[in-house]
Amino acid sequence: MKVRINPDKCIACTTCVVNCPVSRVTPKFLGPRMIGPAYERFRLLGLAEDESLTYCANCKNCDITCPQGVHVSSINMLARAEQSKKYGASLRDWVLAHGELQAKMLQMIPAGLKNWGMLNPVTRHVLDKLGIDKRAPLPAFAKKTFRQMFKKINQPDLPRKIIYFPGCYIDVYDPQTGLDMVWAFNRAGYQVISPDAFCCCGLPMIANGFWEDARKRAKRNLTELAKWRNEGVPAVTGCPSCALIFREDLPEYFPDLVEKLGMHQLEDAQDFLLQCAERGELALREAAGLEPMEVIYHAPCHLRAQGDGLPGYKLLQALDGVKVTEANAGCCGISGSYGFKKEKYDIAQEIGSELFRKVRESKAEVAASECGTCRVQIQHGSGKKAIHPVAILRARLEPGNRQEGQTG
Amino acid sequence: MSRTIDVIVIGSGMAGLCAATAAARKNARVRIISEGMGCMAISGGAIDLLGYDNEGNLLDNPWAGLKTLAPDHPYTLLGAENIKTALDGVVEIAGRHGLRLKHAGDDQNPRNFRFPTIMGTLRPTYLYQDNIDEQTLANAERVLVVSVKGFRDCRPALVINQLRRYKGWADKEYVPLVLPSPFDEKGRSLSALDLAHVADRPQGRDWMLNAIRGIGKGFDLVLMPPMLGARPLSPVRDKAAETAGCPCLEMASVPPGVAGLRIREALVDELHDLGVEFYENTQIKKAEIKDGNCASLTASAAGREIVHHARAVVVATGGILSGGVILDPGKAREGIFNLDIPVPGNVDDWSEPEIFGKHMVTSLGVKVDSQMRALDKNGVPCLGNVFFAGRTLGGYDYAAEKSGHGVAAATGWQAGSMAAGLALGKTAEQKASGADI
Amino acid sequence: MLETTVVVIGGGATGMGTLRDLSMRGVPAILLEQGGIAHGTSSRFHGLLHSGARYVVNDPASARECIEENMILRRIGKQCVEETEGFFVLTPKDDPKFVDAWEKGCKEAGIDAREISVKDALRLEPNLAPDIVRCFRVPDSCVDGFRLVLHNRMSAERHGGKALHYHEVTEILKRNGKVYGVRVLDRMHNKTIEIRCRYIINAAGSWSGLIAAMAGLEASITPDRGTLVAFNHRFTSRVINRLHPSSDGDIFVPHGSITILGTTSVPTDRPDDTRATYAEVVKLLELGEPLFPQVHDYRILRAFAGTRPLYTPGGASGRKATRNFQVVDHAADGLDGMVSIFGGKLTTYRLMAEKVCDDVCKRLGVGTTCRTADEPMCPAPDPAILEQATKYFPTHALNLMADRLGDDLEPVLQKAKIDAEKAAIATGTQVCDFSGNPLLCECEMVSLAEIETVARDPGVYSLTDIRLRTRLGMGTCQGAFCSVRTVGSLVEHGINLEFSPTDSVCRFMQERWKGARPALWGQQAREMEFGRAIYAGLLNLDGAMHEQDN
Repeated sequence: MKVRINPDKCIACTTCVVNCPVSRVTPKFLGPRMIGPAYERFRLLGLAEDESLTYCANCKNCDITCPQGVHVSSINMLARAEQSKKYGASLRDWVLAHGELQAKMLQMIPAGLKNWGMLNPVTRHVLDKLGIDKRAPLPAFAKKTFRQMFKKINQPDLPRKIIYFPGCYIDVYDPQTGLDMVWAFNRAGYQVISPDAFCCCGLPMIANGFWEDARKRAKRNLTELAKWRNEGVPAVTGCPSCALIFREDLPEYFPDLVEKLGMHQLEDAQDFLLQCAERGELALREAAGLEPMEVIYHAPCHLRAQGDGLPGYKLLQALDGVKVTEANAGCCGISGSYGFKKEKYDIAQEIGSELFRKVRESKAEVAASECGTCRVQIQHGSGKKAIHPVAILRARLEPGNRQEGQTG
Repeated sequence: MSRTIDVIVIGSGMAGLCAATAAARKNARVRIISEGMGCMAISGGAIDLLGYDNEGNLLDNPWAGLKTLAPDHPYTLLGAENIKTALDGVVEIAGRHGLRLKHAGDDQNPRNFRFPTIMGTLRPTYLYQDNIDEQTLANAERVLVVSVKGFRDCRPALVINQLRRYKGWADKEYVPLVLPSPFDEKGRSLSALDLAHVADRPQGRDWMLNAIRGIGKGFDLVLMPPMLGARPLSPVRDKAAETAGCPCLEMASVPPGVAGLRIREALVDELHDLGVEFYENTQIKKAEIKDGNCASLTASAAGREIVHHARAVVVATGGILSGGVILDPGKAREGIFNLDIPVPGNVDDWSEPEIFGKHMVTSLGVKVDSQMRALDKNGVPCLGNVFFAGRTLGGYDYAAEKSGHGVAAATGWQAGSMAAGLALGKTAEQKASGADI
Repeated sequence: MLETTVVVIGGGATGMGTLRDLSMRGVPAILLEQGGIAHGTSSRFHGLLHSGARYVVNDPASARECIEENMILRRIGKQCVEETEGFFVLTPKDDPKFVDAWEKGCKEAGIDAREISVKDALRLEPNLAPDIVRCFRVPDSCVDGFRLVLHNRMSAERHGGKALHYHEVTEILKRNGKVYGVRVLDRMHNKTIEIRCRYIINAAGSWSGLIAAMAGLEASITPDRGTLVAFNHRFTSRVINRLHPSSDGDIFVPHGSITILGTTSVPTDRPDDTRATYAEVVKLLELGEPLFPQVHDYRILRAFAGTRPLYTPGGASGRKATRNFQVVDHAADGLDGMVSIFGGKLTTYRLMAEKVCDDVCKRLGVGTTCRTADEPMCPAPDPAILEQATKYFPTHALNLMADRLGDDLEPVLQKAKIDAEKAAIATGTQVCDFSGNPLLCECEMVSLAEIETVARDPGVYSLTDIRLRTRLGMGTCQGAFCSVRTVGSLVEHGINLEFSPTDSVCRFMQERWKGARPALWGQQAREMEFGRAIYAGLLNLDGAMHEQDN
């Protein structure tokens, strides 16, 4: 089924151009309006694609700011899919789109060895040749995946259940945050189920033009989610990009799947916890004897795109001992795998520079953000540690039980 | 519920941002819900108060022109005092974030400023961003008109050709100058915003200062595109005159106009400081009305519905352009509450054949009272806790009378103040009665 | 005073085709047109190059001419014709019994009409209504009226013909029952000239009745107004016709990046009655809905109208009047030396020109035969040259432009090359950036080099003239950005239009305004407010009109 977005809503007002982080730093990108709705009119005329399409980071700032409600980034992603179908995609893009598969293939190899294998200068040189910049902050594999660790947790037997969609980043690189999430839900009175059937949400595949691969995953995830929806179990994810894919992109890109399997409201875990707190199910009383903490919070673009405010930020605000400020500095530049690419690394760093500066200059000891790759980028750009708001929540409420250093 | 708050402002253009500021300054908890980001970021960035009176006469003193306006013009409803409060507020906020806004004349005798555009036309505006006075413009004998190679929107030859057609500008001596482009790679065409972004970067700052160093020697005035930084605070802008060697004025540019973005950033920074919440990429789908008040707003956000509650609501959703006023064949309505806006059934009667004629359609919008509450067809306020602001209002044509941003700021400020007053009054009342909310 | 053998009145497709035909036969001729390129009906139609299938039941003679001319034009006007094919679609609202008569008619006229399954039709055109009943493929095509007229002119000029725009015939000069010339008003310079000639060909289309009257002749020409709606994007790649007896609002034609829906049919007393009304737009949308259910959601760029030059000697009118044409030699009416061509439609313009030229040449004693069907109007652009030009042209803009420009292509490429080299020397960079040749109109991808070259043409006076040649300002933003850029570039390069920069832009916006007014709702109204924000709110052009000296 071929989906097309009507480009008529665009009136060429240039608001998206003003707010496009990529346009801001490089003239190589024709800009969202031009490569999106304006080009779409010529795609319908059969004109070949402009190479600058690959510079769209799919950060969605165009969609967030468009006063006319044009889904510019979706037009771009559909065009990219068409393009890679026609001309094929690079090995590099395949590698970046299928991190999930690679992690699976490397599952048997111990993390230390894996990381040595992946992150040593020789491999980085080879990857660099492939098009993954050797300066890019590739995250290190965790010793064990979240899935492996999750199975070993003894959760209390709670009457209320919740489905947790960890997302690849948590699963492969940052399982501790996943465990913190399980802890938080347990504390709020929910037993966490994280079904094995879940796979990558498909975003990296969409962003790199692997449409069919994304579709397969969408089908699998939606089928699993439908099962739980029918039983009335809520589902959450702590990753804004995964949430956005389920809530906005899948219905737009694969309407037939959504029609068949039903739309699933994968909720924002932070918002869910916040509501638990407001209902009195989750006490946000901090542990005694803690030093006050300063945090600088970065709102991921894919969270802002969801139109539900900044629940993770609010959650931190609700903690008495935490002084949190919002960085208010726009996009971090990474956009999933975008900032790892050789021709885009500098662009990504330049985009994030304002955020890095604010993080560096802030008195906060850590930065907080829900998105895994945003955290990687902030850490890389500012030198300050960046963690998930729920990790801070746990550190404030029950510091004793949280083990640091699970990653790496 | 976390989604209950004192004041919800729908829209984040000039009117919405001013409403949110005014409300937050009265200590109301404020949430801005916006679908896009309004048109302010692409605008030319000067705040027009009133350029032409009701008969179309060019105004030297905009305040004097207010008297000529129709009884249902938003300015007439507000009165000069309220307008001044709002504009003073905007000037103060902009100043705090590093952006100087000023008017011509002095406080005793405030005047319009005839602001040159990149098409070489002059527009009567009120608050503008340059530290230059009208005397400098009037007395300038030698004028340098600057653009940048590859910048399509501004051609010095056009500016000069056009300015010469104005009285008082005809006898000046003009010299065009095209600066080399800061971009040497193949890419898209430059916009004023691209240049301004260059000036915001450390390396770019040096490039910009080098490019303009000494160009003004022997001139009384330099006119240039708005390229001296896109942020409210810009070291380049502060140093421009000194570096160039003579007073510099940035002309108003077509979108993306840069200067509007500076004001927007200043206001948004202020709102962050005030702790205002932003809900972006959200469209209000439904408004529930109970006993003549807005009880809840249902937003559609990334494929799901979220219900918001507020004690008072400000609607600053813009005009036709932004969907605040929705036109259908033979019908018009306001976009959130579906308030009917009466129009003739035949669309041919909505406008005049001449493009710059007095069109009915261009001043179409919600009719309000002096508190910015919508009036029903009997002239009675119909939504007790909802206040309207900006181009959603009817009764004025900002493009023709040159009151762009001016009406928006003034009505926004008023609507925000009224909403906060109502919400906080109500809060106190309900607290007193022990009601649980 | 000028002298020539034949004066052709009317610069539409027929007139320009006639000029080309005469010039190719070696007959000296001057064409007079009161407006710019394709000022009349040749630019005010849906752009459909009929296969003839629309006429097979009612007007089989026309249908046969259509299919023959359709095939010829594909050959000689490759750059003007987009070979899209067409669908005839039976909707649930149409009489299924009509199909048999229609299929039979197609067969008899030699039009290849083949049924395809509804499923296949929907796959090829996904925006079509899912409830359509039957669908036939026919060899309909699309033709760009502006370009067709322009390329005819270029071809004619190559063969020595001459076309004068903005020259209005004010008097037919005759003596002793014989014409000897015309008096003409040069509208741009407001002066009158006389042109002596042996023959006058009245090819003024909807105005042909008025021209005949000017010569003291009577002619039954009933201008018939047809309103059309242009949409912002190409939601169909094929011409889509309703399979029913010809009626209003039953044709959708893709036209480059846009789509056009037509038409209505209302008799009028004025050939220049080109105002589209709200009622007509609404009616067209309603009528178009059975084919494209989303039609109300597509953004309208503009509504416009043209007048058909219906020849109605018997008193038939509207859809009943024949679309066929008639060559009338007025010697029979007592005036020697004047021939009129009445009626007809764009698809058969070449045939009309051929017939009238045959007639005139016979009387002039010229023996050469018509060659207009054999030789392409403009040579196809050399792929090697185009390849080279990608260095200083955005590739897509180049391809679109190559078709548009015809003979002007080479000078434009030359100019762009020189500018790029100059820019490279000045900045010390490679000859690869487009900064010397930026796109001034991004919505339709029109570059500076093209606009500049066209603007230097002596027949180009206004931004509208440039628009007709280049598609400047005809896309999404409707001139909001490109008109300022264009006047700026022209002033910078010392090219003066007839009007001041402010006036030029205002006139241009006025044109667009006329098209927007009858459909001032939805997305098009949003664009309107945006345009006013720029032109009135920001640039104060309305004020400048009064405050500037011209």
